[in-house]
Amino acid sequence: MKKTLLAPLIPFVLLTLIAEFLVRAGFVRAYLVPAPSAVLRAMIDSHAELLQALFATSVGSLAGFVMSALTGIAIAVLLSSSRGVQRAFYPYAIFFQTVPLIAVAPLLVIWFGFGIQTVIASAFVASVFPVIANTLSGILSTDPPLRDLFKLYGASPLVTLFKLRLPAALPQVFTGLRVSAGLAVIGAIVGEFIAGGGLGSVVETARTQQRIDKVFAAVLLASVLGLALFGLINLLSHLTLRRWHASEQ
Amino acid sequence: MLLHRVQRRAFLKTAPALALLAACSKSTTLKLALNWKPEPEFGGFYAATFSKHGLAVDILPGGSGTPTVQMIGAGSVDFGIVSADEIILARSHGNDVVALFAVFQDSPTGIMAHASRNLTSIGDVLMDGTLALESGLPFARLLKRKFGFSHVKIVPSPGGDITSFLHDEKFAQQCYLTSEPIAARRKGASVKVFAVSEIGYDPYTTVLAVSGESLRKNPDRAKAMAAAVREGWQSYLADPKPVNQQMHQLNPTMDLDTFAEVAEVQSPFIETDATRRNGLGTMSRERWETLIAQFKELGDISQTIPADECFQVL
Repeated sequence: MKKTLLAPLIPFVLLTLIAEFLVRAGFVRAYLVPAPSAVLRAMIDSHAELLQALFATSVGSLAGFVMSALTGIAIAVLLSSSRGVQRAFYPYAIFFQTVPLIAVAPLLVIWFGFGIQTVIASAFVASVFPVIANTLSGILSTDPPLRDLFKLYGASPLVTLFKLRLPAALPQVFTGLRVSAGLAVIGAIVGEFIAGGGLGSVVETARTQQRIDKVFAAVLLASVLGLALFGLINLLSHLTLRRWHASEQ
Repeated sequence: MLLHRVQRRAFLKTAPALALLAACSKSTTLKLALNWKPEPEFGGFYAATFSKHGLAVDILPGGSGTPTVQMIGAGSVDFGIVSADEIILARSHGNDVVALFAVFQDSPTGIMAHASRNLTSIGDVLMDGTLALESGLPFARLLKRKFGFSHVKIVPSPGGDITSFLHDEKFAQQCYLTSEPIAARRKGASVKVFAVSEIGYDPYTTVLAVSGESLRKNPDRAKAMAAAVREGWQSYLADPKPVNQQMHQLNPTMDLDTFAEVAEVQSPFIETDATRRNGLGTMSRERWETLIAQFKELGDISQTIPADECFQVL
């Protein structure tokens, strides 16, 4: 465990030192890239504002992410029920993947109004597709001999779904959730650009004021939020899979 | 939209493209970066005959959020369009950018509300309903300081989009007096506008700027540029039609009628008593000093910036 924490710290520290040196020595102009020390100072100086924003963005991304997880898995189960359903509806699931969020975000404001609802909707739109795609592929790739076994014992489709197909799909479900965790944070911030609040607003305001140190501080916090969500999924995945799946052993 | 353009996505779209352009072309063609699409506020630049002054100039249209002030400082363009407030902030961060020619003598920034609300001053807008603002802009913070935002719901500026405005009688938004109100009236809304200069905040806008380094190295080039632009504006003010045609080709989303209307509405911002005395694009030390003092009062800059370093009228 210690090594897994230490290993990523080395490039972080190295890059930070290099960036600090480049700015201080005048190779990079401070109004184009801020020195890491300036970012840290911005974090300390504006910690109250940043923490409040981080909390708002966390709520928005988490809510959007949970919605994505629940509806994404439900949609994948429905899609897996028959080839016909899949053919009819899967293209619409892909629609969510390809929809340029930035272009539709202003519409979300008109539909949902200014506020957290739009942020959640934006996080949802950004993050639902990987859950659908990965869960569906997991459900459809159940080991055929196991499926035959369930059939042989006369298990109903519902029992097969809950006792075999969904549990067997879990590794892929978690892969989908990992991808969508990061996307939910991006979606929330795009939503905040348009609807206000959270780190998105801080970035927007700081950019207007040419405070790139603060922009970077907010961006860094957004990344930390993404990492935290990712870590949460990893923990869940570890707890659920460790006893039977090679990836977590 | 036309507003202060220190916004969003276009940055992501345009910055790499411009960087690529900067890397590829090594000719002596100068680059002039606009901070918005070709619209009447840039008419004089498109009308200018640069070759007459021995210059070859490429006008690069921008978008919402094109960071022209950083692009000038970084040397990825030779000239750019900024506003006076951006120059002060940039200089306070060590980005040596100097104003050469101020197209809009009075800031066209304002707030538009529905006429049905019978509001009589900018303070009334803040007593009720929703106001879309770029809250990072100095005038937004001046408003907050003066009137407080406790009675109004502040939401992000939708850029030039007026959909929310048209849908909600209690919705007001930051605007360019020469842009959104015209669009809203065309959609049948009855609009009341308030200029931000009403609260004493009036930076020069659509300002041609250059980096201090380039100005020192090549003062003649800057001088030729300013002269070409001044003539361009004289010609555009006299007859905007041909240049409007040309800009409409580049920006077909704005129809020719709107081009003509905006060109007419904006001219009192461009031609003022000061320009009649001192020529188009003129700037005064007093105006810069006022603006710098306002920034200091807001706490946006800690050190005093010498007004004389911010601009040079050539």
